[in-house]
Amino acid sequence: MSIGDRFPKVDGPAKADGSGVYADDISFPRILHAKILRSPHANARIRKIDVSGASRYPGVVATLTGDELPVKYGVIPWTQDEQALATDHVRFVGDEVACVAALDERTAEEALALIEVDYEVLPAVLTPEDALAHPEIKVNERAKVGNITKHVNLQFGDVDAEVARATAIASQKYRYAGSTHVPIEPHCAVARADADGNLTVWSSTQIPHYVHRELSRVLGLSASKIRVIQPLLGGAFGGKSDPFALEFCVAKLALKTGRPVKILYTREEVFYAHRGRHPMNMDLTVALDRDGRIAAVDNKILIDGGAYASFGLVTAYYAGQLLTGPYRFGTYRFDSYRMYTNKPPCGPKRGHGSVQPRFAFEVALDEAAEKLGIDPIEVRRRNFIGEQVETVNGQKITSNGFLKCLELVEQASGWKERHGKLGPGRGLGVAGSMYISGTAYPVYPNEMPQSGILVKLDRSGRVTVFSGASDIGQGVNTLLCQIAAEELGCDPHEVTIVAADTDLTPVDLGAYSSRVTFMAGLAAREACQKLAAKLHAAGGSTFAEACQRAEAEEGAPLAAVGGYRTQKLGGDYRGGTIGASPAYSFTAHVAEVSVDEETGIWKVEKIWAAHDCGKALNPSLVEGQIEGSVYMGAAEAQMEEMVYDAKGLLFGPSLLDYRIPTSVDTPDLESYIVESADPNGPYGAKEAGEGPLHPAIPAIANAIHDACGIRIRELPFYPQRVLALLREKASGLRRQASGI
Amino acid sequence: MMTLPPVEVLRPSSVAEAVEALQKHPGSRVLAGGTDIVPNLKYGMYDTQHLVALRGLSKELRYVRLQNDLHLGALCTIDQLAHDETIRRCAPALAEACSQVAGPQLRRMGTLGGNLCLDTRCVYINQSYFWRNALGFCLKKDGTVCHVVAGGQRCVAAASNDTAPVLLALGATIKIVSPRGERELPLRDFYLADGIHNTVLRPDELLTGIRLPKDAFAKRQGFAKLRTRAAIDFPSLNMAVALEIEKGTVKSVSLAVGALAARPALIKGLDDLNGQKADARLAEELARRAHKQCKPLTNIGVDPDWRRDVLPVLVRRMVLRAAATAAAAS
Amino acid sequence: MPGKSATIRLHVNGEEHTLAVPVQRTLLEALRYDLGLTGSKQGCDKGDCGACTVLADGEAILSCITLAADAQDRKITTIEGLASPAGLDPVQRAFADCGALQCGFCQPGMMLSARALLNTCAHPSLAQIKDALSGNLCRCTGYTKIYEAVQVAAGMRGPASRQPVASERAPASDSVAHAVKEIVP
Repeated sequence: MSIGDRFPKVDGPAKADGSGVYADDISFPRILHAKILRSPHANARIRKIDVSGASRYPGVVATLTGDELPVKYGVIPWTQDEQALATDHVRFVGDEVACVAALDERTAEEALALIEVDYEVLPAVLTPEDALAHPEIKVNERAKVGNITKHVNLQFGDVDAEVARATAIASQKYRYAGSTHVPIEPHCAVARADADGNLTVWSSTQIPHYVHRELSRVLGLSASKIRVIQPLLGGAFGGKSDPFALEFCVAKLALKTGRPVKILYTREEVFYAHRGRHPMNMDLTVALDRDGRIAAVDNKILIDGGAYASFGLVTAYYAGQLLTGPYRFGTYRFDSYRMYTNKPPCGPKRGHGSVQPRFAFEVALDEAAEKLGIDPIEVRRRNFIGEQVETVNGQKITSNGFLKCLELVEQASGWKERHGKLGPGRGLGVAGSMYISGTAYPVYPNEMPQSGILVKLDRSGRVTVFSGASDIGQGVNTLLCQIAAEELGCDPHEVTIVAADTDLTPVDLGAYSSRVTFMAGLAAREACQKLAAKLHAAGGSTFAEACQRAEAEEGAPLAAVGGYRTQKLGGDYRGGTIGASPAYSFTAHVAEVSVDEETGIWKVEKIWAAHDCGKALNPSLVEGQIEGSVYMGAAEAQMEEMVYDAKGLLFGPSLLDYRIPTSVDTPDLESYIVESADPNGPYGAKEAGEGPLHPAIPAIANAIHDACGIRIRELPFYPQRVLALLREKASGLRRQASGI
Repeated sequence: MMTLPPVEVLRPSSVAEAVEALQKHPGSRVLAGGTDIVPNLKYGMYDTQHLVALRGLSKELRYVRLQNDLHLGALCTIDQLAHDETIRRCAPALAEACSQVAGPQLRRMGTLGGNLCLDTRCVYINQSYFWRNALGFCLKKDGTVCHVVAGGQRCVAAASNDTAPVLLALGATIKIVSPRGERELPLRDFYLADGIHNTVLRPDELLTGIRLPKDAFAKRQGFAKLRTRAAIDFPSLNMAVALEIEKGTVKSVSLAVGALAARPALIKGLDDLNGQKADARLAEELARRAHKQCKPLTNIGVDPDWRRDVLPVLVRRMVLRAAATAAAAS
Repeated sequence: MPGKSATIRLHVNGEEHTLAVPVQRTLLEALRYDLGLTGSKQGCDKGDCGACTVLADGEAILSCITLAADAQDRKITTIEGLASPAGLDPVQRAFADCGALQCGFCQPGMMLSARALLNTCAHPSLAQIKDALSGNLCRCTGYTKIYEAVQVAAGMRGPASRQPVASERAPASDSVAHAVKEIVP
């Protein structure tokens, strides 16, 4: 009765009328505004920090340095290498050094200029190649060997033998540029301590639980004294899934001053906080047998991590582990290094770790198939892995609607009639992908549920769902409301969602790895089903009456809980659980591009995207996730890149210089939902928020090939790169013609 | 968020009061639409103590008058010019250029005078104080080195105004008022090749309007802009052409290119083309000359070699488009 | 230090306000900090993103780079002023109903740009919609549902209704088990 409906978002009206409260909309009497002093050097020892000048500046109330917050933190328990404020070593331009709280922002900013820091500037490593070549320049002391955050080398089957036997091989180098999330809301945190020493932190985070844990560790304060609340979140895309310096600073300053404290990052600071897409250099081989079946895939991956680990350990695995569908790989090997470099740390951006190798693979598959004369869609169909099957690296695929996805985009784009036939300067390209619906492995080892839901029924018939999950715009609160209505039989308009407040809501691990709808959804269904049984037994002519009868029967208020417990999944080898998901989503795109061969300027005219999300709990929301993902993927192909100068200074940390597409730069997007009814997901549902990003980039690259015969292997596909390849092709043709 | 530094804001209600305020407060800067100066102030690019806000002059300086020549007040908004019927008739390339300035909100705020006086831009200067400090500052402000031209002694920050090339190509003159009176100056004499201050405007002078001579109306006009995004972005290159054609033969041609260095370039030595046929060969020739004379720099964060490569293509296409149009209002 | 202050009068959402603020106060700061109208958002602070868009005499402008004092002679409408006692403006209603709102952060500005468009052009073409919104960056939606919402608000179409497509059960391909070889560094 509610699942599958295009139910309007529960937070829609508050977002529409401007009354919705985001972190920066929170204020209190006597609030202080704090600013963070940042390093102007990419790599330097700190000899001394003197904040006395700043603390004497009129209007300044408190200063803060790293020795007051010495405990290292990080989202992955094994790689905790960050400090809220540096004490002895700064590792990138923008690294945090000291903090000032004042009566207003301007005063705090002016006071920063009075802090004296004595730096010993060190040589910096700015590329992963340099990081490998110069182990003596230590970016981050946590690295056991040189500058390696993590090295993963896994082989499944005899890759070399299969490559030797193969009929068609595509073996090339690919470069994926780093990009960043650009949520329109900059990071913001507000803290307030009460007279009993209880601390409340409001933060624009997508992982309140980890912020809660890390605040406790770093502040040395019992977690039971800390409350973390996530207000409405103005976009995240992975960029708000680490604990950040601002959260520790406002918390410490609030405790220190007894006054509420706020930090709102400037847009420039958001670029330094970063955690965006890792640049990757890939050396990829795809080998096909004579029937076009994938005999072997071999990938050497060098990952540029930036100055801290963030989720980098996972990145090094995801870069390899998530490639093994929707196609069957005969054999597979990947060897990935995630390196520390003196740049803002990279982390999880929508499609964490797997967008880059997916680009390389889908281009290589096209190239190898072309050698065999097999149509790009046909080669993908031929290699389809199926469902209820295990991948080469031991991941269990329970449902798989990829063939239907391919069929829909093939038809919608007019592929059969149009591919290869659009004439010069216009072309179609296809690509597919697979992504996880959460990961079986909780970020820190524990036996507790990953998601918890508490549902309470009022005598009035009002249903309240207490959910720890983070609605970051994707709409999970709306889905929880629909699930409650579905199970309980109530009007979805009579459901209240209380979310992401560590005092009020059960723990949920946060909005990452596309886990929320799947895991919180199952937990909610379980809780609601327990209550539904009681309501059913109680009877009653209205929902409110049923609630009253059931409460009378119970002799206590009606409430129930549900939890999603981590499953044991994945291959039986070290790292086999990383990337192992209870369900995988699948996507296919066809992109249409036009290329101006005289200038290299090209345009994505349209992208048809079909996504298998298992079951669309709310088709409007799923379409929104598909369209937003496709846009973001196309943007990376079109224009986005984090560019640094020779000293590690990020060029143009603003929305004018780091360009994201406007409405007039965004291709027409046509989204199709495929439902494969996953046996594990809530109502059959799987993820929809990250998977649909992946194919956009290779589909565009393959379309450019169809349009003008070039293979572009480096992102972004700047027009100068396209033009250079076109000239290379032309001179090659000339050489051929002249017989040289 | 970024905050503005404390300043005093003077609010004159006439041009006379405005120039008096400029004279009285050396180092003061003019605030019209604010789309350029406000971000720059937030970035700490100016040490200005006083702003002279022109909001009170809106009525006086927002005119579009066709009296023989076309007269435009400096406070006409860019959006107004993009849509004005008279301008679309007499100076279609100006309307076209205006429609391609920045994004919709900025066009409604930004003014013609502001666009013509737009401060030069460079990837090394339009940044926060923190960033410029980490860089080691530059010639334009607080520093002694140029990061664009190794060893460069003169700032080459780029003229980034979209109206300048059009008005240069069309032979516009500008009206300048100071406490000493009014003067008129051909726009081609207005700009200097100095990125720190790229106009001849003195501290107490105000650009109050432009005049477009009526002979411009009959010219075939063209404008083209290269930018990464189809909205918001400053030009990576922009250009304009004005062609006087009589019976298929060129009577005069002028071509201007912007977004190179501090001064929008009026392509030199085109007089010998007069008398030639207005055909594809002319377009090729103009493209070749523009290519020869224009050398994009790294002051704009888009590959300068590629910009140079595509410049002749864009010039050629623009000229062909312009030549194909019917002559504007005559 | 905040510097000199001035008394200004703002006309916002039909109400007159007299404020004593630093002379360099931006309109966005005055709205958010002095009037508590936090619906106008700050995304970039320098005119690059459009999140701070408000209407001045019906025209969409950027409040983060407008001095509050320069807005004194204009009637300002913020997102809080768009709804009426009768309910949400059709633009707001359509954005909420069509799923055009994801994180919602860019949307106050986006909706005001859309409202300004519809006020001057009741039935805009898709190209006109794209142009009118090209100064408002959205990072969530790919703009697609935003166009839909504007068209729904203009009464030009109904909300999207495409049905999901069921996938047939697909057989597994031949599965081959392989020995895993891990090279531990």
